[in-house]
Amino acid sequence: MSAPALALDVPANRGRWAVVAIIAALFVLLLLSGVGFGSTWIGLDHVAGVLLGGGEKMDRLVVLTLRLPRVVAAALAGGAIALAGYLLQRITRNELASPGVLGVVDGAALGVVLFLAIFSNESNALVIPVTWQPLAAGLGALLAITLVLTLAGRQATSAVRLLLFGIAVAAVAKALTTIFMLIGPIYQASQATRWLAGAVDTINWGEIQIMATVLGPLVLLTGLLARHLPPADLDDVSARGIGLNVPLYRVLVFVAAAALTAIAVSFVGGVGFIGLIAPHLARLLVGRARLAGMLAAALLGGMMLMGADLLVRVAFAPIEVPAGTVTAIVGAPYFLFLLMRKDQANG
Amino acid sequence: MSLAATFDVPQLTRPAPGRVLAWLVAGVLLAMLGSLSLGYRIYGLGQVWTAFFAPDGSEAATVIAGLRLPRALIAPLTGAALGVAGTVVQTLSRNRIASPDTLGLNGGAALAVVLASTVFGVQSLTGLSLAAALGALITSLVVFGVAASAGGLSPLKIVLVGVTFASLSHAVVEVVLTSNEAQLQQLLFWLSGAFVDRPMSHVTTGFPVIALGAMVAFALSRPLDALQADDATAQSLGVPLPLVRGLAFLAVALLTGAAVSMAGPVAFVGLVVPHAARHLVGLRHVWQLPASALVGALYALLADIVARFVIFPVEAPVGAVTAVVGAFVLLVLLRRRAA
Repeated sequence: MSAPALALDVPANRGRWAVVAIIAALFVLLLLSGVGFGSTWIGLDHVAGVLLGGGEKMDRLVVLTLRLPRVVAAALAGGAIALAGYLLQRITRNELASPGVLGVVDGAALGVVLFLAIFSNESNALVIPVTWQPLAAGLGALLAITLVLTLAGRQATSAVRLLLFGIAVAAVAKALTTIFMLIGPIYQASQATRWLAGAVDTINWGEIQIMATVLGPLVLLTGLLARHLPPADLDDVSARGIGLNVPLYRVLVFVAAAALTAIAVSFVGGVGFIGLIAPHLARLLVGRARLAGMLAAALLGGMMLMGADLLVRVAFAPIEVPAGTVTAIVGAPYFLFLLMRKDQANG
Repeated sequence: MSLAATFDVPQLTRPAPGRVLAWLVAGVLLAMLGSLSLGYRIYGLGQVWTAFFAPDGSEAATVIAGLRLPRALIAPLTGAALGVAGTVVQTLSRNRIASPDTLGLNGGAALAVVLASTVFGVQSLTGLSLAAALGALITSLVVFGVAASAGGLSPLKIVLVGVTFASLSHAVVEVVLTSNEAQLQQLLFWLSGAFVDRPMSHVTTGFPVIALGAMVAFALSRPLDALQADDATAQSLGVPLPLVRGLAFLAVALLTGAAVSMAGPVAFVGLVVPHAARHLVGLRHVWQLPASALVGALYALLADIVARFVIFPVEAPVGAVTAVVGAFVLLVLLRRRAA
């Protein structure tokens, strides 16, 4: 049985970096307008002024303490999840794979909730630094993906089967998350929607700093791995034939994907479907090139979460609807569309 | 593929189905007693007796008759409804991992309830359970319609379509809930899937709907037996396929809708129960359907009792307990297909 091909129209190689540059420009534009929009509109020139260190005092307050953190967090988390999705789709050669359906997101969420339940004292304060939280999320994510792959075993080559194992593992993790949330301090339950649905409204600079610190080396590692990702149209045997150490890179890629998902989920929660759609869009726009594809996927993922957050702020104000619900409502039909395409390999 | 191979029923000599059903009835009654006496406080059987036949206004009597009795009735009703619905759905789709959850019916019913109460202001329990049934019916039509229009999706893919619909309706529910904060508390509670704190009126509105759905399903026993093989076989046996399918979907929608409107979406009951029932009484629906009802009732009662103790003294939502068990069963079913 052949895995579904990642076949999409490949634009001319030459234009690929130009496309990436355009995406990057749009990314910056969305970032600035994400900061500008809100209960009061701040002109893009004012936003730019504040970011460059100037600006009026009021603008500085709103931009730097209220709006910028959530926009930056959305950009980082969306980018990380999209990158994880890109890696997973490439390594499983499965265009339906994503951190969400493979149980990685729910595994990470379980890790966070367990961490909070274990390391909180009676007055609901953490007894160890919050810096450790991403590690807990990472362990949860890694455990989930390991479970899915081990259980699927030889069936992992079937696109649909692998996903069903992922869905089952995700369901276990989700149920355990609910249970542990009930045991844990009330502080956690009030933030429950964050890990269940994904939201960026309560993030602060301290958390962003941790995110950025962990993401830096991870992205570097991913960039190095990119050169060794087997080309999309090679199966394992051929990849080995051209001298790639498939098992080693496979493990490294899965670890990297788990870690990227974990860092996003750890502070922003389970944002669904970005890890599915962003890599697809990237492939559509820049083709199968690895480095450009990864960069485009990350930028697009960041844009999607920023866009979703902007939408919930503008459309539902003053109520904070979790941004993750928007990505799910947009993403689920897209996933259905992929499933229904007839050229897809059957389970 | 033979039926036994499709459904992994081992070829053993089983005890007579009638005897199995009798044992199950005994088990359900015992579990109901357990549901009345076990919990944060444990009451003896004597106190249970007093609460019903010589109410003395004591705390024990109030708790047993007022709080525990409704859940000791709602749990088996919900479990039975989801069990029968699961069996019918698995037969209809010839799919061992089909269930009201994995096909998105639970999610559709839950979405319909939330929309009906927030957007259309429906308050009555009857109205809500009708809305839930309608939601389940529409979802089943959409999921199977999508599957059919795509040229017959494989069983596994249908499940992926259903799961995606479930997550879609979940997201919409979340949007509706977070933008209607007044009703958030009440609805959140219901959404967790639990038997606790439901009024007796849930039982009296839910029971007739479930009874109707179960009777329709039971009346379809023979045609459902024939459907297990394949369409051609069923047709050659004189089964009017469209009529049987339509009625069966209606039964599933009524059962799922009533269960969801009483207890919320209790996860994976409809997935697990049919497998147990088949192992106990075999493939004939005359036995399989009542066995699913009884196994479902027993399973829901036991899960509800377990939920009171897993994180004692706090109570876990029973939906979380059945989700853990059900997801493990799903994993086992997927694994077994590999062998």
